[in-house]
Amino acid sequence: MAKNDLQGTLDLLVLKTLSQTGSLHGYGIVLHIQRASDDLLRAEEGSLYPALHRMEQNGWIASDWALTETGRKAKYYKLTASGRKQLQEAEKNFEQLVKGVRAILRYA
Amino acid sequence: MSLYRRITNLFSRSRVERDIEDELRAHIEMRVEDNLAAGMSPEQARRDALLRFGNPVGTKERVAAMDVALALENIWSDVRYGLRQVRKFPVFAATTILTLVLGIGATTAIFSVMNAVLLRSLPVSNPQQLFYLNVPTQQPYGAWNTGNGDTSFSRPVFEALRQDRRAFSEVMAFAPLSSDSKVAVRIGDDSPEEAFGDMVSGNFFTGLGVPMTRGRGFTLEEEKQHAAVAVLNYAYWTRRFSRSPSALGQTMCIKGLPFTIIGIAGEDFPGVEPGQVTDLWIPLQRGPELNPWGQSGDLTLYGSPDWWCLMLIARLAPGVTAQQAVAEATPAFQAAAYASLGTPDPSHPKVTLALVPAKGIQGLGDNYREPITILMVLVILVLIIACSNVAMLIVARNASRQRDFSLRMALGARRSALLRQLLTESGLLVLSGTLLGWLFALGGARALAAWSQLEVNLKPDRTILLFTCIVSVFAALVFGLAPLRTATNAPVTSALRATPSTSYQRKRRGSAILVLQVALCFTLLTAAGLLLRTLLQYEQTNLGMRTQGLLVFGITPQRTADSEARFIFYRELLDRMRSLPGVESTTFMDNRLGGGWSNNDEPTVDGVKYSSEQVPLRTNNVGPDFLHVLGIPLLEGRDILDSDTQTSPRVAIVNETFVKKLLPNTNPIGHQLGDPKDHPYTIVGVARDSKYRSVDEKPRAMAYYPYTQNGGAFATVQVELRTNGDPLALLPAVEQAVHEMDPNVPLEKPMTQAAVFEDSYSQPRLFSRLAMFFGLLAALLVGIGLYGTLSYRISRRSTEIGIRMALGAQRQQVSRMVLRESFQIAAIGIGIGIPAALLTGHLMGSMLYALDSFDSVSLLLAFMGVVGISLTAGYIPARRAASIDPMQALRNE
Repeated sequence: MAKNDLQGTLDLLVLKTLSQTGSLHGYGIVLHIQRASDDLLRAEEGSLYPALHRMEQNGWIASDWALTETGRKAKYYKLTASGRKQLQEAEKNFEQLVKGVRAILRYA
Repeated sequence: MSLYRRITNLFSRSRVERDIEDELRAHIEMRVEDNLAAGMSPEQARRDALLRFGNPVGTKERVAAMDVALALENIWSDVRYGLRQVRKFPVFAATTILTLVLGIGATTAIFSVMNAVLLRSLPVSNPQQLFYLNVPTQQPYGAWNTGNGDTSFSRPVFEALRQDRRAFSEVMAFAPLSSDSKVAVRIGDDSPEEAFGDMVSGNFFTGLGVPMTRGRGFTLEEEKQHAAVAVLNYAYWTRRFSRSPSALGQTMCIKGLPFTIIGIAGEDFPGVEPGQVTDLWIPLQRGPELNPWGQSGDLTLYGSPDWWCLMLIARLAPGVTAQQAVAEATPAFQAAAYASLGTPDPSHPKVTLALVPAKGIQGLGDNYREPITILMVLVILVLIIACSNVAMLIVARNASRQRDFSLRMALGARRSALLRQLLTESGLLVLSGTLLGWLFALGGARALAAWSQLEVNLKPDRTILLFTCIVSVFAALVFGLAPLRTATNAPVTSALRATPSTSYQRKRRGSAILVLQVALCFTLLTAAGLLLRTLLQYEQTNLGMRTQGLLVFGITPQRTADSEARFIFYRELLDRMRSLPGVESTTFMDNRLGGGWSNNDEPTVDGVKYSSEQVPLRTNNVGPDFLHVLGIPLLEGRDILDSDTQTSPRVAIVNETFVKKLLPNTNPIGHQLGDPKDHPYTIVGVARDSKYRSVDEKPRAMAYYPYTQNGGAFATVQVELRTNGDPLALLPAVEQAVHEMDPNVPLEKPMTQAAVFEDSYSQPRLFSRLAMFFGLLAALLVGIGLYGTLSYRISRRSTEIGIRMALGAQRQQVSRMVLRESFQIAAIGIGIGIPAALLTGHLMGSMLYALDSFDSVSLLLAFMGVVGISLTAGYIPARRAASIDPMQALRNE
């Protein structure tokens, strides 16, 4: 059985976001998740940053300071090679989770 | 994040923190900008951004925790914070560390001695395979022995055991070159000196697997040839030759015979003699000059198959257990044991063989096992008191910092961060306590070895280091758990209350610890009292003689195989000593009084033979004027005289106990002692009972024979000189006189007679001093703990006391209340302590002399000690409580 937990889900969302957008700061990630999910999902801002730093320690993402379009200094994150591998893993796990949950819901 | 940055981050916490702060601020600012763009007012925009983000301080901490580098950096900052706390409360830190140093240091020092005496193996290859051979039944009936009944074997037995390779792959034999002192050694033209020497079998070094520093060990060929070669101890080589390689090949004289040095043993190898460091080894010798045990009579190693004089140490054959080896070797052993004695008498049990692991100190290990174990228990009790004291100190101090903790938690600090910081502080204290304690232990162990006159290797080894680590971890756990409660219990809500309240439960727990401490302290004081009283008993024992003004030393004539030559030497020695200025009188004796040795015999009185079970008889061969010189009162008859020579009628002096047991109700003078067919001794005098082997012996029947009349002249005499001045001041003149007679002859163990007896109870003295030290240490620690806790409680209760006084309580009542608390703790503690103390006294039974193990005086002393401590510890807090100004106390609320 694959490892499925909420933290894993937040990781998946962040990794997927970064793989779709290339490079983004924390606030941008929050906005992207909200927008891409049609307002269904909202990343908790307090949990996002510890997760980002943990993933950076794990070597899945890398960070750099850059200027935003409005000229503000912000920390941008982007996916690393091992992050890409981690994303594939997380996606596979998530599919299984969804399949599993769906199977239970359909069980009559 | 690159490694370089992580490391640089260590030294710049601010940069990493600023990084995180910037990142989070940017997030909030961007949200504010978007909110403004969406049409909110500036205040609304900021409020919304902060609400969405949550607690920024908490988030920052959690982000920081994710950074490994920062986690490291946190510890560093905790350490710095801890050090700042230490600087801020130096008395607290010093008390804690000192307590730990004493606790850890004392335990480690005692353990080092325990390790050396009981546990440490020889520094040779595969020491666990080595066993000393023992004869639990003692030698077979009819064999000659050396006084070491259970450790000595005859040479035929040794040969038989070493033949049989199924039980033991190697059997090594060794025997000292003299019985109770060292042998005379002379190197080059230096003046003669004493050294401890063993003669050993050819396989001694190879069989034991002793690493050689230089040169080589012996060979079997050298044993067969009785080669004149010697191997030196590393320490002796260091002391005598300054580790010069040129020592190899040099010639040294041992008892006047030349030997060539062929090797230096490994650095830590002390030899295999119990409790002694062997200075040099030579192969087994055949000549009468170098007989085992310095024996001068008719017994020789190769000429007397019935003389059990060799000690054996064996290496088990591969794959054989000790039990199997005993079973395997016993038939050969018994056959060899009885080969020369004829068929064993069926009424005597057959001799048996036993193996004793070559671990710690053989023989000595048994004497010391019990006292050392008891000391170890005492010192662990001290350690428990010390640790609980420190734990209480820390808890009390953390309780007073409760508000500080609560405030920090209210501001968003997490419990784990607080806990980590408290643990760091405890860790700092334990670490410094352990390091200093280790140093203390090194010095302490050395001092202990010097006091105990134990020649053991106390070099710290892995076992000791491991032990100290375990003790420290134990201490760290105790202190670690103490702050855990404080940190996790810090109530955020009550953070800012003005007066912290004392919980009843916590107070009860504190009192329970104190009661336990008092009980332990009472036990320790009782043990200390028992040992102190034992020491006093030793010191006050009447020896039955006047030891003041007596000098004693041994003399072994060299190269005088012939008894007649020795008698001439002794006669000249006596004349020379008598004519020395300052010498009042002088005499000889075979066994030095108080030296632990005696001759034992079965008495035959007027033709009636008694067995040694009925009346054991001790004898000593002595010179003229013996009773006069020693100051032993003569009750009847006469002293030994110059006129008692080899040719004159044989005479003897007996003591009171002899008369009481063997010749009661009659005048003993003129009765016959000894075999009537073989020139019995006529009793010519009766002396008062006096101590012979040691201070703690019971009176026994005793006979003194003239040294000229009991067999041939013995190999060594103990010379006793009486003077009116300082006995030791005679030494230079004595040395000069002996040198004139023979420059090869040293004075052996010259000392005052009083010192000989004092040394006979050096072990009880050492243990009583140590126990007293631990007792006082425990008392001091308990006193500090009691004082600290009571003062702390008073300071917390000052408001309550103020109210009591405002309501009319007298100052006396208040101070009585505080003292009552102190006494209550002491009373319950003593109540628990009495059974523990009685049990301890019972366990210590064998260490006591002339004392009941339920000694009421010791119990009373311990009781008074504990009462004194609680009175002293309670007095100052009681005075402080009584001097509380009610108005002041109430205003503070």
